[in-house]
Amino acid sequence: MDFLAEGFRRALALLFSGDAEVYGIALLTLKIGIVATVLACGLGLPLGFVLATRPFWGRRAALTVVNTALAFPTVVLGLLLYGLLSRRGPLAAVGWLYTWQAIALGDVLLALPIAAALAAAAVQGVDPRIRRTAETLGAGRWRTAWTVAREARFALAAVITTAFGHVVAEIGSAMTVGGNIRGQTRTLTTAVALYTSQGDFGLALALGLILLLLALLVNVALQTLQGRGHA
Amino acid sequence: MLELVGVRHEYDGRVVLDLERFAVAPGAAVAVVGPNGSGKSTLLRLLALLERPTAGRVLLDGTVVTPGGAARRHVTLVEQRPILFRATVRENLEFGLQVRGITRAEVNRRIENVAGRLAITPLLGRRRHELSDGEVQRVAVARALAVEPDVLLLDEPASSADRAAALTLYRTLAEERARRPLAVCLASHQLEDAYRWADDVRALADGRLSPVTPENLFRVDLTTAESGDLKRACVGTVEIAAMTDKIGPAILAVPPTDIFVSRKPLASSARNTFQGRVTSLARRGPGGGGGGGVHVTADVGVELIAVVTEEAVRDLALAPGSPVVFSFKASAVRVF
Repeated sequence: MDFLAEGFRRALALLFSGDAEVYGIALLTLKIGIVATVLACGLGLPLGFVLATRPFWGRRAALTVVNTALAFPTVVLGLLLYGLLSRRGPLAAVGWLYTWQAIALGDVLLALPIAAALAAAAVQGVDPRIRRTAETLGAGRWRTAWTVAREARFALAAVITTAFGHVVAEIGSAMTVGGNIRGQTRTLTTAVALYTSQGDFGLALALGLILLLLALLVNVALQTLQGRGHA
Repeated sequence: MLELVGVRHEYDGRVVLDLERFAVAPGAAVAVVGPNGSGKSTLLRLLALLERPTAGRVLLDGTVVTPGGAARRHVTLVEQRPILFRATVRENLEFGLQVRGITRAEVNRRIENVAGRLAITPLLGRRRHELSDGEVQRVAVARALAVEPDVLLLDEPASSADRAAALTLYRTLAEERARRPLAVCLASHQLEDAYRWADDVRALADGRLSPVTPENLFRVDLTTAESGDLKRACVGTVEIAAMTDKIGPAILAVPPTDIFVSRKPLASSARNTFQGRVTSLARRGPGGGGGGGVHVTADVGVELIAVVTEEAVRDLALAPGSPVVFSFKASAVRVF
């Protein structure tokens, strides 16, 4: 118990003392999380919308692929990405291996199927009369899509939150393609793993608390944007 | 003129609508009546250009039109169970006007006007979860009228409304049609409303238009057990004899004007003679769409409607509860 209590005390001390390393890691995680979530949702939400609303040949197969990708192991994803970005890989010229961009790329690939699959489910959950009503009132394709998306906004906000949560909590790919380099690619999750293995439980716990705080802040921000739950 | 020509529509390989021609003329007031599952809602969705028919064409003023085109802005549908967007009533009314790029001042003018006529002005600031089913239906009609379509399609518009709200709705439609050339096509399973309101009442049964008026339509199964063309089908607690070579599922239609009404059974060639009691009498005005006369509804083991003259009602002393005999020939029964 002393060990745990000591860990909490040290965590709080680090948080309130404004430790540069702790906040550097937190800011990098936040930056990667925002970039990856924006890109993954920017691509995944429209993809999910198309999968949910547009009948096309192979739609069922596409949905199966997206749903299967939800369970893709992040370590394997990191491994594949490492193969692509390493010196002998086809994308070596990009020079992203062991950079924050590589971590963000892995996170995008991780969160994209999450955003697409959950967005498809969210849009499919919208009453089909909404689309018909928008159409019969004269809305064109884009306005109809926007109207349907508006109806699903609470569910879509949950999709964004889930995607962000996965991105900031991801460790397998971040460790493999980021390398956990101090001051450069050390994220909250890789740092927690490192400090725990080094026996610095207090520092690991402080970083874990920041991770939870980040998730909480994003949730609160999204709920505020949703308009406080008006039906 | 909005028309369906040679239209057949299927869901999962099952034919739900099969029409040679169905037209709604400019300024017309058409009522489509029929039981649940007869294809009324599908018909309206095809007319509204919300679905593409499996076969056949939809024409607007002689031009073939398809879902997604600009023609859809001429036709607006109010569904049987309309839904409002997740917004205030005012924002719902604004929707169709905004997508047409109508100016703010005109949007406000139209909303005030239509809200006043349908008595929903006090609801403008409310959201959908704060409204009753009847209020949602009125708002949906107002939302459709606000965009001033050439053709307004209404699917059971009074199904959630009380009598007063239904009368307000029909009065508003009449006012709108008096103000501008608006065609209205209304689907209903209530014959009374259809006759009271429409110029042209058409019956739909199993996706096909009935060749006769919409009363006395029965879904039956004609078995092959009988020899020849005289077949009997169970309807309610009676058997109706019909001349037909058709077998299997079919619709029987007994034209109300082909039913002889008497106090006692007649010695005649009629193969169908049923005794019962009058349940109601309804008088139709000559311009009311019912073709005039008195509609006598009787329970003869099944509910049948006959049309007779006012003199016949007087001579036979017909009144609710009085005994009555309905007779009609097997050859008078239409089978389709």
